[in-house]
Amino acid sequence: MRRKLFTLAAALVLFAASPGLAQIKIGVLSDLSGPTSDVGRPYADGVRHCVEYLNKQGGIAGQRIEMLQVDYAYNVQQAIAAYNRFKGQGIVALQGWGTADTEALVRFVARDEIPTYSASYSAHLADPQVAPFNFFIAADYSTQARAALQYFHDNWTEDRPIRLGLLYPNHPYGLAPIPAIKTFAQELGYELVAEDNVGLGDMDATSQLLRMQRQRPDYVWVGGTISSTAVILKDAQKVGMQAKFITNIWGSDEQLLQLAGSAVNGHYGLQTSVVFGTDVPGMEVIKEMTGGRPQMTHYIRGFASMYVMAESIRIAAEKGPLTGRAIRDASRALRDFDPMGLTPPISFFEDDHRPNMVVYIYQLFEDRMEMLAEQELERRPEWLGH
Amino acid sequence: MRGKCGLFHTSYASETRFFQSGFQKLSLGLFLVLLLCSPFFLSNYQVSMLNMINIAVIGAVALNLLTGCCGQISLGHGAFIGVGAYTTGICTLAGWPFFAALLFGGLVTAVVGMLFGIPSLRLKGIYLAIATLAAQLILSYVFLHWTSVTGGAIGMGLDAPVILGMSLDNDAKMFYLTFGVAAASVLLVANILRTRHGRAFVAIRDFHQSAESVGINLFAYKLQAFAVSSFLAGIAGGLWAHYTMYITPEQFDIMLSIQYLAIIIIGGLGSVLGSIFGAVFVTLLPEFLGVLAQWAGSFFPNISMYFLALREGIFGLILVLFLIFEPEGLAHRWRLIKAYWKLYPFAH
Repeated sequence: MRRKLFTLAAALVLFAASPGLAQIKIGVLSDLSGPTSDVGRPYADGVRHCVEYLNKQGGIAGQRIEMLQVDYAYNVQQAIAAYNRFKGQGIVALQGWGTADTEALVRFVARDEIPTYSASYSAHLADPQVAPFNFFIAADYSTQARAALQYFHDNWTEDRPIRLGLLYPNHPYGLAPIPAIKTFAQELGYELVAEDNVGLGDMDATSQLLRMQRQRPDYVWVGGTISSTAVILKDAQKVGMQAKFITNIWGSDEQLLQLAGSAVNGHYGLQTSVVFGTDVPGMEVIKEMTGGRPQMTHYIRGFASMYVMAESIRIAAEKGPLTGRAIRDASRALRDFDPMGLTPPISFFEDDHRPNMVVYIYQLFEDRMEMLAEQELERRPEWLGH
Repeated sequence: MRGKCGLFHTSYASETRFFQSGFQKLSLGLFLVLLLCSPFFLSNYQVSMLNMINIAVIGAVALNLLTGCCGQISLGHGAFIGVGAYTTGICTLAGWPFFAALLFGGLVTAVVGMLFGIPSLRLKGIYLAIATLAAQLILSYVFLHWTSVTGGAIGMGLDAPVILGMSLDNDAKMFYLTFGVAAASVLLVANILRTRHGRAFVAIRDFHQSAESVGINLFAYKLQAFAVSSFLAGIAGGLWAHYTMYITPEQFDIMLSIQYLAIIIIGGLGSVLGSIFGAVFVTLLPEFLGVLAQWAGSFFPNISMYFLALREGIFGLILVLFLIFEPEGLAHRWRLIKAYWKLYPFAH
């Protein structure tokens, strides 16, 4: 009995004295039950699996990562409360999620110097003047749209301007890239022939598509999320539209292929990461973490976001005390950092938080997404924040 | 020591007194002192929760005055809060002193509220609800599309309020501002209810034809209710804008309106105290459920993900249970608890 007690005590002492106990706390805001949970869940899984993977590798600079997760259900009040709780628990960095919470926290994280990596790719969040502690690992919404316009412009063979239509929800997320699209389309010589709204929850887009069809666009930008995009593609097939649709990042994923079925064939989807199964080193890790189960692109972006943040934390930890400012500076020092091939290389600068200017253009089919091109734009200063 | 047993009023003035006994005054006084000292012993997170409760209290007493007391159901409250937030924000960005901007935000919201209150003369019940829903939709559209003023989809960044040269740049400092304004709002609404106007509101709620037959000008009083309610909603919005320091149209959507309706239903329609209880309950419940989820997660790590997602469902269930078993809200339960202790240990 005494021996058992002694062993137990010794184990406890060793456990308490173990250097492995030192932990780096990061907060993770997830939407697991709110209106964006269909894509929020895979993204959160990606973040979680990346933390588990890094911990398996020995953590960051010898310290384990402790992930404090809160499901804020896409509610700003709950996001602020969760953030304050995280702060009290001593987080050094935050993995955020949507536009509503990321923007509500912009000033908080700047004041408290807590670097935040989110999945809201609004262009203004890439401007350090507005959001000095905010980062994301994908080209912003405006850059994504510009890249698509550039790609279709470069591959246009007919001797007339491209006729462009715009379909987007009357919603902050849908509206965000519209001014950039209009300006750049004009610059490239596109002809904007039609513009209409399809709401995020709309179940029918026939009337909008019939109106648009009369203007005979060659390409139509679709700026919604999966459900509205599926509705648009199916209705377009129904009314026999010839135009090719360009679905943006939250409107084209594996769910869309299922929801839209054959209506998706031949249209285009924008991505800022590879899709599951692509032959890159990171995919081996993801397969190992998920037991080989196919994952959505949102999962891969979640994984990559955490991976890039971890790299910044690692650099900061190696340089000295781990503070929010040190992590921010380390992020800003990243140059062409490759997150195991999962996304294009990432660089942040002191005056420019755009991670890169690269967008993957995929062609969609009901059983697969095929990468067509890796479109890169120049890093124009006048585009920063817009 | 003499205690009061039952209530015995010999004048209207004594009946409308806020405090029926010295004990009430003393306990409220102690509670207020405790609240005022709370930033010294509560954590930053807990103080931030108090700030959100204070702002919710202002919005809730405002809606309760309109819906609970005057019977004018409103589904546009979230948008009215947004009008206050944007107006105050625009004024402070233009260099106005904070309180002037806050008051102006309240006034502009009052005017907007009155404008959307005009149909209330002809409409009531669910028809008025739809008319106010239109207010919500129209105002949301304005927030999103009047880009030159509101910043549109990008939103608007603001600074922490500056009062007499002091920046309220942390939760503890902000607490005194939100608490002061919340206390003033509660006092204002409680006093309005004791006046001729407050009684007219209640008469309109109970039966508009009877109210009209005793000489109440329905249109004027309904508009007054919209004006006061919207004014306070604007104040709540102004505080919210400067508390979060970043406002976007998404923050003031229909969900916010529904949340405030839930607050006053849970708290108790037509009760000032109920508005406070409702605000506390609705603000703290998700936090409590979150803590519960974390606690459960420490025992069953794999279950926590599912439990987190269940949380919203549990929240909805609690709302439904409230409607079934406590339709008069927490204020009614509070009255029962007080009555129980007044007679304790003799139940009958």
